[in-house]
Amino acid sequence: MNSIIALSLFGIANLFLGFLNNRKILLPATLAFVLVALGLNLADWNQEYLWFNNMLRTNNLSVNFASVILVATFLVVAVSRGFGDDEEHTHPAEYYAIMLFSVVGAIMMVTFENLIMLFVGLEILSVSMYILTGTDKRNLRSNEAALKYFLMGAFATGILLFGIALIYGATGSFNIHGIEALVLTAAGGSAPALLYIGIVMVIIGLLFKVSAAPFHFWTPDVYEGAPAIFTAFMSTVVKTAGFAALFRLLGGAFTGVYGTWIYILYFLTMLTLIIGNITAVYQQSFKRMLAYSSISHAGYLMLTATAKVAHTQSSILFYSLAYSVATISAFAVLMVVAETKESNAEKTNENFDIFNGLAKNNPLLAFVLTVSMLSLAGIPLTAGFWGKFFIFSDAFQRGIVVPLVVAVLMSAVGIYYYFKAIISAYFKEGDVPAIELKPIYKITLIVTTLLTIVLGIAPDLVKSIF
Amino acid sequence: MQFWYFLTALTLLSALMVVLSKNPIHSVLYLVFTFFCISGHYVLLNAQFLMAVNIIVYAGAIMVLFLFVIMMLDLRRNMPDSKSNLTKLAGAILGGTLLVILVAVMRKTQFPQFSQMGGKFDTQTGMVENLGQVLFRDYLLPFELVSILFFVAMVGAVMLGKREAGERNF
Amino acid sequence: MVSDFGYILLFIITAVTFCAVALGGAFMLRPNRPNIEKLSTYESGEAPDGNASVRFNIRFYIIALLFVLFDVELVFLFPWATVFGNKILIEETDGVWGWFALSEMFIFIGILTLGLAYAWVKGYLDWARPVVKNSNYQSKIPASAYEKINQKY
Repeated sequence: MNSIIALSLFGIANLFLGFLNNRKILLPATLAFVLVALGLNLADWNQEYLWFNNMLRTNNLSVNFASVILVATFLVVAVSRGFGDDEEHTHPAEYYAIMLFSVVGAIMMVTFENLIMLFVGLEILSVSMYILTGTDKRNLRSNEAALKYFLMGAFATGILLFGIALIYGATGSFNIHGIEALVLTAAGGSAPALLYIGIVMVIIGLLFKVSAAPFHFWTPDVYEGAPAIFTAFMSTVVKTAGFAALFRLLGGAFTGVYGTWIYILYFLTMLTLIIGNITAVYQQSFKRMLAYSSISHAGYLMLTATAKVAHTQSSILFYSLAYSVATISAFAVLMVVAETKESNAEKTNENFDIFNGLAKNNPLLAFVLTVSMLSLAGIPLTAGFWGKFFIFSDAFQRGIVVPLVVAVLMSAVGIYYYFKAIISAYFKEGDVPAIELKPIYKITLIVTTLLTIVLGIAPDLVKSIF
Repeated sequence: MQFWYFLTALTLLSALMVVLSKNPIHSVLYLVFTFFCISGHYVLLNAQFLMAVNIIVYAGAIMVLFLFVIMMLDLRRNMPDSKSNLTKLAGAILGGTLLVILVAVMRKTQFPQFSQMGGKFDTQTGMVENLGQVLFRDYLLPFELVSILFFVAMVGAVMLGKREAGERNF
Repeated sequence: MVSDFGYILLFIITAVTFCAVALGGAFMLRPNRPNIEKLSTYESGEAPDGNASVRFNIRFYIIALLFVLFDVELVFLFPWATVFGNKILIEETDGVWGWFALSEMFIFIGILTLGLAYAWVKGYLDWARPVVKNSNYQSKIPASAYEKINQKY
């Protein structure tokens, strides 16, 4: 809770730090702000509070989700390197400030107790994301992506708001525990039909934000058009926040009418897995492949988010953490390679062949890329393997066979396209000059890689906390 | 009650005209009219403050933004209709299905009659004093955080709207 | 006895009749002899050139957006004004309510003002000024010659 207020103030402070005309202090200041917020967030550990007239609830679940979000933010900020030295076209103070504000929205979506808070949090997060998508103003793709994301996102938010209004009409309450009680009593058959429509609309609104099929059409274009650093931010923070909100609604407020939404969600899970994985196979662009892979990971997470039992929360958290860390290091490698090629005045694209011959002169970068790809594919001894393992064993215990079989088959398909990057880096001929990495960049890459491996060897280190 | 039906028919008609009229300026004017009709509904619900807000903010300020956006498009270039018939058909089916579902749900829902509520009905709910009490006491935190939302929107808009050297003006 | 809404209805009816009578009367009385010059759009005496649907600069949009944001902020002030001085609430809370409500609104307005201050300091509100060109032309006639002429006449 205190982290929300602190981050709001830090965001404003960050914006005004930009007036000092010293780009060097922005990066450490932002890192310090995120760390302070993480500390404030952890201070709520093992305490159950309701804040401001039942607007927010902090408990261990919310602290965990917020911590994953803050850790992902910290890593993304660390690999941003102050957004380069282009004084004229980049505005690092604004970017960092908007990133901090969007984390405010994300934490609101994690801790909300009242649906109004969910809506305001979602809006803060989404508006920040629309802006960050369009920050590369000289790039037409970025402009197009921002406009597309904005139009579709505004529509999805409208559907979510309509759903909230209908739920309020049916139950007379915005409070999710109030709704839960009313839904449970009404589930005997007297539930007003408005409630079902409202629930479906709220779920649609949130599924859009986590880019589940069939609401995923914006994802590849937006991920490709946005600057890579913001794509990394979007595919980790927004996804975690969206799934936290979805899990809290499905596992709490809407459990009473489990039967109405569960089959829809099973179907959408399978659709998401199939579309995400199969389409990713055909991608030439590494960024677009990561976009489709993020769709497919949304599918795996949905498999667990639909469980109405509370103990699956640790699986979601573990998976989100593993996925976030691996995605950030993959984007970090992509950014630094693309930048080097660009500064050498080579014609660059963000296709797989950008990594051709990476291992020859840059063994560290190639290794980081390999570990992150292995983790995303779910190969043993990486965090991603245990993430998938926990999710599949949860699904097996609940006895949902068909979605589970689809998920296992699709994760086998996933191995193919993740290995394309590794093969480019190690076995293809190409020329990537030795890249000089800044110390903070190097440290971050080593930390993410070590985290992935350590979690892959001893998952219980983190899983027991969640 | 007759007045309610009249107002609703007018609202629906003008909302349809927003979508159907070819000229974007006409669409905006129909949208303004729709907002006025919705304000009429607020009056019927005894929420005069919301009526005034709806006219000031939506029919006034938001419409100015809409007009600016339309003026930033190049209207002289007559764009051919880019939607294929298949898209239109799919849209019509989707929208129509949603409409049918919503109408069916509304018909199925039993709204409590005034006599059933035991005279507990509060006619003053929509008044500005009650709104203020709810907004500034119960919903204090969302209210303050909305200012962060406005702040982000403001910073983002001025940052993206500022023209820079070397920027493409397509 | 007319109700409160009745008064509003009366106002609307009066406004409509007033316009209708004025315009209708003028329509009846005036001579009707149009020609091309009379029918053309009046632009301060200039001959109209092209039509009005030209593309506007995005700068106008920023101003309009700031206007909308502060418009919405002002709308929040009205319900606040009704509860800020609420006697019952102040007595119930022993005077704390007034300070509470005041600081609530000050935080809200303060954050938005910071946003405006940011845009202002960054110069995003400045209108693009025409660039003054300094020419390097060296005249053969010295400046004092001009001054002499000025003093002479």
